[in-house]
Amino acid sequence: MSVPRPRVLALMKLQSTIFATTFNPSAARLGTSILGQRLRGPAIASYYPPRVGTIPQLRALYPEREILDDREEDWLEHQQIARSRGKGNPKKKTSAAESKKFSKKR
Amino acid sequence: MSQFRAKKLDIGCYINIRNIRDHTKRKVFAENEPERQALRYLIRNTTLPQRVRAQAQIQLAQMHCYTRYTQVKNRCIMGGKGRGIFSDFRLGRYQFRLNALAGNLPGVKKASW
Repeated sequence: MSVPRPRVLALMKLQSTIFATTFNPSAARLGTSILGQRLRGPAIASYYPPRVGTIPQLRALYPEREILDDREEDWLEHQQIARSRGKGNPKKKTSAAESKKFSKKR
Repeated sequence: MSQFRAKKLDIGCYINIRNIRDHTKRKVFAENEPERQALRYLIRNTTLPQRVRAQAQIQLAQMHCYTRYTQVKNRCIMGGKGRGIFSDFRLGRYQFRLNALAGNLPGVKKASW
């Protein structure tokens, strides 16, 4: 009850055309299984929930509305008070000589 | 490996450096997955010249470790734990219990018979 080889090959060829696989009668390692794998990157990258509802996002969504950021305003106010008391950040040094002025001498 | 990290915080769950790092690794993996698969195909295809396959092997080995899937680890999104995670819920076992008892997980019910 053995089937002749050419007939089996013809069947394999037909199978490969129907199921869109590569016709590979010698069973050589072609790596097609890797090409057939699905990309799982998007599923893996979306594991952690995205950050939504931040103030900049809301501002971009509703440019016609004025959205207040309480924390930012508190911070600006704090900065303002500190500056008026002379406790603000030091001025940015623009040149190398200026930045060396207060550095310790050896 | 902070060169891959997002400049602005982009995850909205429990945050610690390990969660942020894992998220970064996931994004890098997703970005580089097609390239890795292409190189793997070249390596596995025995009909290609040996030189090409060896070069592909070297190139794959020299890719950054963040592009590798084995670097990715499921972490709890509500407590940052790295062990005992139910991957279906993305929660650690204690957070899972708390949320299940509070009824936050649809379809989860304490067994009793």
